[in-house]
Amino acid sequence: MSILDRKLRRELTSSLGLLLAIVSIMAVGVACYISMASNYRNLQEAKTRYYAQCRMADFSIELKKAPLADLEDVGELPGVAEIRPRIQFFATVDLDGFARPLNGQVLSLPDRREPVIDDVVLRRGSYFTDRRENEVIVNDAFAAHHRLQPGQWIHLVLNNRRQEMLIVGTAISSEFAYLLGPGAIVPDPEHFGVFYIKNSFAEDAFDFDGAANQVLGRLAPGMGNRTGETLDRAERILAPYGVFSTTPARDQASNRFLSQEIDGLRAFAVVMPAIFLGVAAAVINVLLSRLAEQQRTVVGTLKALGYTNAQVFFHFLKFGLVLGVIGAALGSAMGYGFGGMLTSQYRQFYEFPELNNHFYTDLHLTGLAISLACAALGSLRGARAVLRLKPAEAMRPKPPRIGHSVVLERIGWLWTRLSTGWRMVLRGTLRNRMRTAAGAFAAAMGAAVLTNGFMMAQGTNYLIDFQFEWVQRSDVDLTFKDERGREALWEAQALPGVDLAEPVLNVAGDFRHGPYKKKGGITGLVQDARLTVPRDLEAKPIPIRAVGLTMSRKLAEILHVEQGDVVEFQPTKGLRDWLALPVVEISESYLGTSVYANIEYMSRLLKEEMILSGVQLATDNDPEHRAALYRELKTFPSLEAVNSRADMVANLRETLIQSMYVFILIFILFAGIVFFGSILNASLISLAERRREIATLRVLGYGPWEVGSLLLRESMITTVVGALAGMPLGYGLSWLTAVAYESELFRFPVVATSATWIATGALAVAFGLSAHLFVQWAVHRLDWLEALQAKE
Amino acid sequence: MSSTPTAPTAVLLRFERVGKTFTMGEVAVEALRDVSMEIHRGEILAVLGPSGSGKSTILNIAGGLDTATTGEIWFREHRLSDFSPAELTCYRRDTVGFVFQFYNLVANLTARENVMVSTEISRHPMDPVEALRQVELEERMDHFPAQMSGGEQQRVAIARALAKNPALLLCDEPTGALDFATGKRVLRLLVDLKNRLGTTVIIITHNAALAQAADRIIRLRSGQIVETHVNEAPTPPEEIVW
Repeated sequence: MSILDRKLRRELTSSLGLLLAIVSIMAVGVACYISMASNYRNLQEAKTRYYAQCRMADFSIELKKAPLADLEDVGELPGVAEIRPRIQFFATVDLDGFARPLNGQVLSLPDRREPVIDDVVLRRGSYFTDRRENEVIVNDAFAAHHRLQPGQWIHLVLNNRRQEMLIVGTAISSEFAYLLGPGAIVPDPEHFGVFYIKNSFAEDAFDFDGAANQVLGRLAPGMGNRTGETLDRAERILAPYGVFSTTPARDQASNRFLSQEIDGLRAFAVVMPAIFLGVAAAVINVLLSRLAEQQRTVVGTLKALGYTNAQVFFHFLKFGLVLGVIGAALGSAMGYGFGGMLTSQYRQFYEFPELNNHFYTDLHLTGLAISLACAALGSLRGARAVLRLKPAEAMRPKPPRIGHSVVLERIGWLWTRLSTGWRMVLRGTLRNRMRTAAGAFAAAMGAAVLTNGFMMAQGTNYLIDFQFEWVQRSDVDLTFKDERGREALWEAQALPGVDLAEPVLNVAGDFRHGPYKKKGGITGLVQDARLTVPRDLEAKPIPIRAVGLTMSRKLAEILHVEQGDVVEFQPTKGLRDWLALPVVEISESYLGTSVYANIEYMSRLLKEEMILSGVQLATDNDPEHRAALYRELKTFPSLEAVNSRADMVANLRETLIQSMYVFILIFILFAGIVFFGSILNASLISLAERRREIATLRVLGYGPWEVGSLLLRESMITTVVGALAGMPLGYGLSWLTAVAYESELFRFPVVATSATWIATGALAVAFGLSAHLFVQWAVHRLDWLEALQAKE
Repeated sequence: MSSTPTAPTAVLLRFERVGKTFTMGEVAVEALRDVSMEIHRGEILAVLGPSGSGKSTILNIAGGLDTATTGEIWFREHRLSDFSPAELTCYRRDTVGFVFQFYNLVANLTARENVMVSTEISRHPMDPVEALRQVELEERMDHFPAQMSGGEQQRVAIARALAKNPALLLCDEPTGALDFATGKRVLRLLVDLKNRLGTTVIIITHNAALAQAADRIIRLRSGQIVETHVNEAPTPPEEIVW
């Protein structure tokens, strides 16, 4: 070890606390990078493998019913490699020992195993056998949740008939990597499952002999960018059979959520490390500049002894690089650990045949490289400063800094009212511009991370409140397989414990406004509906008008519609005429692209008596009534789905909010490290620089707390100014996140309340104060008598 | 601690068999051995001795910057050696003024503000401008230390010390960093302070010539008092040559 390296080693070990503060900021940055980039790869590779394994569809077309022979025409379209007709329905599931009827999606699979589009991966048991018709393969998560085993019998209500089905196996499929029931945003394996039945059995059960109501398709290689065109053609061919929706893979719910998560990880793998490593570079910059200044005479002596500029420069640069290496090593270990935690978090939401956290050597090397780069960048200013020194000049003590007044002094009335302590603090803050800027930058980044974390939590809460407390207010929703008349409402009203029943009519169809088109639907509600209440941006209720549509903002944007415009709508069922409908209100919605209208207005347009496709119920809270209600619903005619809002909200809060809290805790921890590290660094450097000044104050009769308060005020000014600047940055970050995640399925509300700002500010101050405890301890420990006598 | 006036010959500070041992690593260094002395109100006491003789240690103990290892120190009727760190802080704040060889001004503050650092925390302070007038620096009061000469900086330091109306002014080589003429001017200032305000001044120095201006001179060697000399006719600073 060269003598300079020995000097370096001793300098490093003598200021261990300070270095730890910087190294932990770097380590957090590297850990963020490693954990997020690793998970990006874990998910991306798992997704690619899984999609290939299941032969994931490139598109799907949902329609009322079409003969298989006519569906084959879609397979002939240019660019289409292969299609698979499928029968799919929603059904209720009657599980012994479970009060509530559960919801399921029933999908047909070939009777004999063959590779098909949107195939399944068996987890337990086997594929269908030849022994019986009524065999079912249950999706693995639902089976696991209800402890269902191959060999057990369950009851599915298919086409109004209660069918006894034997479970032969459990399976997963890539189209349900993120398993969502209708209208849900998080998987709920307790209440929603997927049930695969034999194609022949499906044809019988649903009266679909030689027909199907869904087409899955794969495109020829290289045709991915022409999906829209292909789907338009397919739709034209299938138009006579009533196309409900055409879905390119991009918009397939599971794929959409998964892809967005993966894209989000990729973005965060850049943004978060950039924040932390940027702060680390700023903090190193301050430290190294101070070191260079402090070692002025040493530098002069080294140069006088014949050390070259390059040797001295690299000696100082090495100081930063050592920090970079230690930070990267710690960050690598932490990142691998966090990565594993994140992967297991993803396993809770996403179902893959295999999702493991891997050790990617190249990512760890990249982590090391960016850590070193940022350390070198941070050290550059300090290291360059030593180059400029001429030996003779360097060996003389540095002339005192020229004192001059600061901007604030021009505000005479203010300045004269300040105590000398405050004047010292303000002058110190304004003169050490680089240090103040670095501190404020760190505080801003810390505050931005905190604000972003809090806003994510508040946004999630707000979304749940808005959609599931304010807009949807029913306790139980019933969806019918086919439209029913007014009598269904009376039947529902008569169910046990029902206080209020309101009809709902969902009509699927196409919207058109000039050149803009969109598949969707209209939900008919009664005039003064109390169980579904559309709301505006401020969450104020919007009444359902007698005539015209209340359209969600997202759909209005897609169709370029404003309030008062007229859109065209072609229902998928009935006469299928294009109707011109005025948009009378624009409503806010964070899920889907809902459109509301008066149910009687809708029925009139469809030229029908009042019809309904579902009923919403408000019930009392009597558990016995609820049990009786569920019992009766198990035999309620034509029921396709039963949803309990309470169950849905409970699941949402449990899954979303809990994982959100984990993330927020991590955010707070990371922000804490940034605040703590940068404040500690700045204050300890300030303390070291002003030992003599502080000793003088102690001699003059200032107590250690009074001296400490000077340092505290300095760090607090920097922290508060930085945090104030960081809060809008955090808001911007949340806004960018919301924009990045915005889709037709899901929008993330950007919500900041006074609680956001107060919590961010309070935490910033709390971190500042806790860092100051260490500084105060150092002030108490300072041997000021020695500092007083030491030569400057 | 009260600063009630006492008779001119009253004892302000008394050292009784004071010893101080520093432990540096494994070596114990005896800085003071059995030092007993009295400092009277309103006198200028010069403590002379070569470096390492224990001058600074006496000053530090007298000023409440450091504590003795053995013996007792009395300030008026208070036993200083029993003071807690907090009480010592109060003692320094209200009773003692310090002047250092290298001034120890706060670089960030103007002359006036440097004086205010002291007046803001003391109980019966002088007006900072008045204190600067006493050292003939009221014209330069808005200058920063870096804009002043060494003599001016030392005068600011003296103004800072006397602005709190201290009972005891402790000066550590007050002219050590100054040229001859400036040094004499600073010395004159200290003598004037004593004459006009009755301040007790202890000057420690290794410059024997300087001691001619003192009322009493104590010589130290190796931590012990080797000579106490009463100077019946102190030499005016202007006539001292070194």
